[in-house]
Amino acid sequence: MNLREIVVEQAIVPRLSALDRDGVINELVGALIDADAAEASARDALVKKFLDREAKGSTGFGKGVAVPHVKHDSIPKMAAAIGLSAEGVDFNAYDRQPVYTVFLLLSPADKPEEHLQAMEVIFKNLSKDTFRRFLRQSGSVDEITELLTDADEQRIGG
Amino acid sequence: MTEFTATSLLLATFGLLLVLGVSLSRAVERLGFPIALLFLVLGMLAGSEGVGGVAFDDYRFAFQVGTMALVLILFDGGLNTSLRSVREAAAPAALLATAGVLITAAIVALGARLAGLDWKSALLLGAVVSSTDAATVFAVFRAGGFGLRRKISTTLELESGLNDPAAVILTVTLTQIAIGPSTLGWSLALIIPLQLAIGAALGVATGYASRWLLTRIRVSAGGLFPVITVGLALLTFGITTAANGSGFLAVYAMAVVLGNGPIPYKPGLRRIHDALAWVCQVSMFLMLGLLVFPSMLPAVALPGILLGLLLALVARPVAVVLCLLPFRFKRAETAFVAWAGLRGAVPIILACYPVLAGHPHGAELFNLVFFIVVVNAIVPGATLRWVSRRLGLFEHARPTPSAVLEINATSILAGRLLAFRISPQVAVCGAKISEIEFPPEAAVLLVVRDKRILAARGATVLNEGDRVHLFCRDEDVPFVTLLFGQPEDENS
Repeated sequence: MNLREIVVEQAIVPRLSALDRDGVINELVGALIDADAAEASARDALVKKFLDREAKGSTGFGKGVAVPHVKHDSIPKMAAAIGLSAEGVDFNAYDRQPVYTVFLLLSPADKPEEHLQAMEVIFKNLSKDTFRRFLRQSGSVDEITELLTDADEQRIGG
Repeated sequence: MTEFTATSLLLATFGLLLVLGVSLSRAVERLGFPIALLFLVLGMLAGSEGVGGVAFDDYRFAFQVGTMALVLILFDGGLNTSLRSVREAAAPAALLATAGVLITAAIVALGARLAGLDWKSALLLGAVVSSTDAATVFAVFRAGGFGLRRKISTTLELESGLNDPAAVILTVTLTQIAIGPSTLGWSLALIIPLQLAIGAALGVATGYASRWLLTRIRVSAGGLFPVITVGLALLTFGITTAANGSGFLAVYAMAVVLGNGPIPYKPGLRRIHDALAWVCQVSMFLMLGLLVFPSMLPAVALPGILLGLLLALVARPVAVVLCLLPFRFKRAETAFVAWAGLRGAVPIILACYPVLAGHPHGAELFNLVFFIVVVNAIVPGATLRWVSRRLGLFEHARPTPSAVLEINATSILAGRLLAFRISPQVAVCGAKISEIEFPPEAAVLLVVRDKRILAARGATVLNEGDRVHLFCRDEDVPFVTLLFGQPEDENS
């Protein structure tokens, strides 16, 4: 499994307009719905699930990134959105620092193993300083997809 | 009767009361009464005018034992207070513990003056009952299975730890004024903040010094660590009080520093101090029950109960509303904090002080305080759960874990032992352990499901409600919490 398979290109938001955590989650769920990766009717339920997950412990694991993630029945195929915030968002993160990069992951409810694999792929890449820095500096969808491809082809070092 | 027989009889009675009290505690708690009250009643029954006939009227001894008990209770409270909650609730709690105490005391004093007390005694009475009780508040929130929002419970807990010092200073000063020739001193306004500042500074300093000591000292048995911590608590209290600081605040602050740092034998220390705090709490109430003479109570019953209601229904709410005004508390949250003004042993200990200092109305004040405390333990204590539901603040409490896994090492080990309760929201729920790609030094140790301990095999599927114990290095905590959610005890 690699990043390009997980991330839906139409759901990449290089400049998030929301300024708080709940707004960002809403915006990125909306991006996935617009990209037909999720059903519009499930929007409220999905947002609520993301917030429930955040209540169980922040998915902001530090260094300016957060990976909100949920499994849901209405999702046919795994899909992730990426959002970048120039201002930084308070995600109640592990290191208490603002979050600039958000990877929002939606998975089908019946495949916990795929969900986990995707989380690991995302985490592994976001743990790399170079990847995080390049991602944060990206200004357009094209730059981000190119970066994801580079990462998948192991062209980015630690 | 020989001294030996007398002592053994006394110990047998005390032991019986402890056993009886704790055995009844669950039933009493179901009714919503704080356990402390049960012990107070048992103490009264055992007293010279009750069926027990134990004669005890030594206010000095009660005051000394009470002070030590309070030191150990505050130490335990501090040990269990996370830095995170201090950060979250410091500002509102500090205001409640200072301005709140003054406002509460003033309103009760006004009521007491109207009830016929002279001004000096009325102010003293207000001061004595002005602080909420740390032990009672901790007990209600920790043992009661309350699922309150953290901001509310931490504010109340921190307030209760912080306001005893203010009440103590106020009581001691007002007692001096009441029995001495001086009038109400202007210096009072300076003394309180100064004592609190000294107390906080010395507390933090001794906390770091204690941490340094505990991590370096070599002891032959793990059981000696709690002996050191008890010693450190008493030492901190003594030094600070001698330096004109608030010893109680110092002990609390010192314990917070200690509890949030890497110290050896930490889970064991927590458990032992928790038990010690309970022993202190119940013994104190038993002793105070013995100290009350029921025959003297009817004379002050009516004013006592009325003043108790004034405290619960007017003084506390007014103080809380005013103090929380600058902070963003929802109306329901403010209302809950206002209602949760649980009083406990502190006012009763403080009420010994005027008696000891030779205050002419000392005994009368003591009996009034008795009623005020009982009313303010029963009224909010019995209704808190109901009130929290009515205000829409009740969240379901996490079930008490059926098993706890701890490492008690006499030196600090690298690596962490974390426990998670698997909720349906987290990524690992429904997954096999083998599907989780752990960092090299991390592993699930065991899974507790209902009452069974399961081996953590690759094929073991993590279900909702499982309690998972895992081991990892410090740097792997972010990854582990991303997959498992928040660990159950962040402090260990």
